[in-house]
Order: sequence, then structure tokens, then C-alpha cells
Amino acid sequence: MANYKTIEQTTVFTQMVANKQGWALNPDKAFYDTLVEGLTKNYNRYGYFLCPCRDTEGSREADRPALCPCIWSKPDIAEYGHCYCALYLSKEFVTAGKTPKPIPDRRFENA
Amino acid sequence: MVYALSTCGFCKRALAFLDANQFTYKYLYVDLIPIDVKNTIKQELKERFKENVAFPFVVIDDKKYLVGFIEADWKLTLQV
Repeated sequence: MANYKTIEQTTVFTQMVANKQGWALNPDKAFYDTLVEGLTKNYNRYGYFLCPCRDTEGSREADRPALCPCIWSKPDIAEYGHCYCALYLSKEFVTAGKTPKPIPDRRFENA
Repeated sequence: MVYALSTCGFCKRALAFLDANQFTYKYLYVDLIPIDVKNTIKQELKERFKENVAFPFVVIDDKKYLVGFIEADWKLTLQV
């Protein structure tokens, strides 16, 4: 089935994104697994990798900014060391042994 | 009342925090309900608390609210 992703496929997707961007994946395995499961669930019900910590606005077009990796991931990782859902972390953040904490959602900056 | 996403790591942590501290609560995974119902709930929360709705969003005793699982804030507000 073309429009279906397995956990393994989503895992590979996150690894590819992290490698391309020079980021690390969340080293907390339980937390990471929750996010990968969430991403997989979102793909299989919406047809795209909607950020697991943001709810759908109802269409791919409306959700486009929040497709993983979201458009705010780069500024969030630069400022906080990790993206909004804490799937991707900067390597420096991980090396420093820091733990991700909830950060403001930039989606609301102009709301 | 906890409004959460079934896919979100911080929501999961928030519920685990409430469980670990033996709180009795109701929760609703808003991604598992019809979108029009979800949007109505979000609009009501936004108007009532003058706050953008992100998850988890918790309404405490029908008066106070918490948005996002910032553990220190939850401990303070919930007096843990």
C-alpha cells in the first residue's frame, strides 16, 4: 500500500532528516519511540508527516508549515537546542547532556 | 480536564506526571475526535482563557489552566 508507512519507514525518515540537517535524534528512546509512533499515525491517517505535537488544521495545505521537519525547526534548534516536539536536537545540546523542555510554538507568533 | 494529542511525547509525559502524583482527572485526545468538535473546543478554550491552544492544555477545577508540560509550573500550580 503506497500511502502507508511502517514504524521502520518513519524511523528511516527521521534518520535521513537528521543526517541531512546535521541534527541528532532524541536519545531518550521511549520519548523518541512515542514521536515516531505519532508521526507514523499521522502519516497513515492524514497522508503526511504532520508534527506529532501539533494538531491538524484540516488540510495538507493548512498543515504544510507543520510537516516534519516543520518550518520552525531550524530557528527552534538554533535558539533552544531542539525542535518543538523534541524529535530533533542539535548535536551540541546532546553532547552537553541537556534535556529538552517544552518551548513556545512559533506557529502562534503571528496569531 | 486534560486536552492532549495521542501522538505527542510531552502530552504523554504530562499524563504520566498526573498518574505518578495520583491525581484524578479526565482527558481527551483531541486528535481522535471529529475536527469540527475539536475546533469548537479549541475556540471555547481560546476565548475563555485568552490563550492560544497548544497541547497538553489543562483546565484545573474549571478555573485555572496550564498549557504545555512545563513540569516546574505544573508542580507549582498543582502544589506537588
